[in-house]
Amino acid sequence: MRLYGLASLLLLLCTVWCAPAYAHHIIGRPAYSLNEDSNTPPSMQVEVQVGDYFITYMVFPAFPRPNAPGRINLYAKRIDNDKPFQGKVRFTARDDSWFSQREELIGVQSVDDNVFRQNFIFREAGDYIITAKFEDHGVPYVIDFPLRIGAPSRIGVIGALVGGLVVALMAINVYRRKRLIGEKVRDAARGRKTS
Amino acid sequence: MTMMHPGLSSGWALLAWLFVVVIACWALFAPRATCASRAKGSARIGHHLAAKHAASSWPLLTLKVVVTALFLLVIIAGALGTPIPARNLATVLTWNIWWAGLIVSVFFLGSAWCAVCPWDALAIWLTRRNVTGRPNSNASLNLRVPKILRSVGPALIMFIGLTWLELGFGITTRPYATALLAVLMVVLATISAALFERKAFCRYFCPVGRTIGFYAQLAPVELRRVDPEVCNRCSTLDCYHGTEKVEPCPTNLVMKNLRENTYCTSCGNCIRSCPSHNIAWNIRPMSREAIQEARPLPDEAWFMLVLLALTGLHGLTMLPIWEQWIRALARHIGDSGQLLWSFTAGLLASIMLIVLVYGLLVALTRFCNSRKVSFKRLFYGMSFIALPLAFAYHLAHNLNHLLRESSGLGGLLANPLGTGAQPLSMAEKQARAMSAMIPQDALFALQAALIVFGFWIAMQVLRHRGEALLPGSGWKLFPMCVFALIMTASHLWLLTQPMMMRF
Repeated sequence: MRLYGLASLLLLLCTVWCAPAYAHHIIGRPAYSLNEDSNTPPSMQVEVQVGDYFITYMVFPAFPRPNAPGRINLYAKRIDNDKPFQGKVRFTARDDSWFSQREELIGVQSVDDNVFRQNFIFREAGDYIITAKFEDHGVPYVIDFPLRIGAPSRIGVIGALVGGLVVALMAINVYRRKRLIGEKVRDAARGRKTS
Repeated sequence: MTMMHPGLSSGWALLAWLFVVVIACWALFAPRATCASRAKGSARIGHHLAAKHAASSWPLLTLKVVVTALFLLVIIAGALGTPIPARNLATVLTWNIWWAGLIVSVFFLGSAWCAVCPWDALAIWLTRRNVTGRPNSNASLNLRVPKILRSVGPALIMFIGLTWLELGFGITTRPYATALLAVLMVVLATISAALFERKAFCRYFCPVGRTIGFYAQLAPVELRRVDPEVCNRCSTLDCYHGTEKVEPCPTNLVMKNLRENTYCTSCGNCIRSCPSHNIAWNIRPMSREAIQEARPLPDEAWFMLVLLALTGLHGLTMLPIWEQWIRALARHIGDSGQLLWSFTAGLLASIMLIVLVYGLLVALTRFCNSRKVSFKRLFYGMSFIALPLAFAYHLAHNLNHLLRESSGLGGLLANPLGTGAQPLSMAEKQARAMSAMIPQDALFALQAALIVFGFWIAMQVLRHRGEALLPGSGWKLFPMCVFALIMTASHLWLLTQPMMMRF
């Protein structure tokens, strides 16, 4: 009986030792139900300063996928007096791939609780530039930020560099061979003259 | 949220400063030893073992293959992996481990990294198409490097560019850009190997190689001749020309005349090619070279001063105050949100400020010593003071990155591309910030000791080179001592500030 008691105590101690309890919820909000409407989804957040404004923008989710909804939150406040901008912000999207000029208006947003919220859905994967524009006292403000949708082929510039290297090496090789042949011909000619 | 590393505690900083002041007093007022009376001892490293390994190219080749494989993995991870910097092997391995650890490696091994450098290895394998033995020299055009490029100027410009990319453009948090930079360096090294004789890239253009080279003047190891008489009798100069099986010295060095590590890439070709086995690795007193042996040359003096400015800038840009300054400047000049112009202006200003302060104090030293030597000679000759100060701060700063930000490497090696990984949560960021490789107090002690060490070497340089340039100058060298004190004080201040964690 004492043995069972000791074993039970040991088992209990092991359980306490090995399995610390973690809280799953903080004030009733499940931490894992994350989407663009939650306060804490994985997001990309950038802070920039343009002219008289300090601008913070967030993209939800951090890495949006094609055909999946996402949202941009933009917050602009004056640097001198911390007053948030209250006008309208125009959001456009531009295809950032080489030789492409496609640009589309996503929407014009009024302020909502000091934040400009713009929803988006991109149909195609790729690199885009989101532009947010607004005017304050006749001064235009333009904020560009890159947004990658999905996982497009990222080998582009590196591929071009490697391709360029191969071409350069081939050109140098051809030149070197021509030079070597030239030298051999000159040596042979010199040999004939001396003989 | 940005995590901050706590700065050096004021107790350690004050203790270090106390040592610095004592050393400064000693440097100015203690009697000086003459050049001839200085000890020049150095000991060969386990000669038989070193010679055995150096005689074969296989150990080095194996290391090169391993490092190159890791380098290719970095390119693949950067190009195809997640853009989250903390989850991508490219950014963590390149910036948190390699870039930070590289300077630490110089402290122990000198320019050993150059011997296994993957940029050079890939360039040589691609152009000369020979992995072992002496590559075919006809595989390159073997042009001479144009005279205008035959200095460390190109490497200096590249180093400023690299610093701009790192601190201004923020390449350290961009895996793709990191991979792009890695490929670009290989392209530059390869084109250089295809066009120019030997390894012109290593000698003139490589910003990392030259930085390591200068710091290696302070390293405790050197590759040197064993018996000067054997070298004097040598008529073949195999170390310079190479042999049928061994490459010539990649950076045009003749071992007979070699006095400084600056351009030695530690490849060991000279050991393998010397028919008299007269070349060996030596252990020597640290910094002997910077104190007395290295020759002062204009381009090298500029490199050392800019190196000092840029190492300080590394610390400065990681302080919140720098961001405030740059933002204020950006507002003033109407810069874009990325602050690139403002950063560029800040970078150039920080270089100019150091050079200006140094120049003024050199002029004051000359004035105090009745203008016995020309300004140029003093400016170039005293520039060696900058080297230990830069090296010590660079080491102390990098220890922060290396020891506090290197956790999670195992997970990254298991998933180098970060497939399916999410950005670091707050809890993970905090856990990483708290999981330094050594206790915080030990890190602080190391940082304080390094700063004192740097100042100690700088004062030895001042005493020796001051005596050589201005015999009997004594306390009249105080302006140069003030320069070292200003730099050391600013480095200590930088270390006491909380520093932003890279990611």
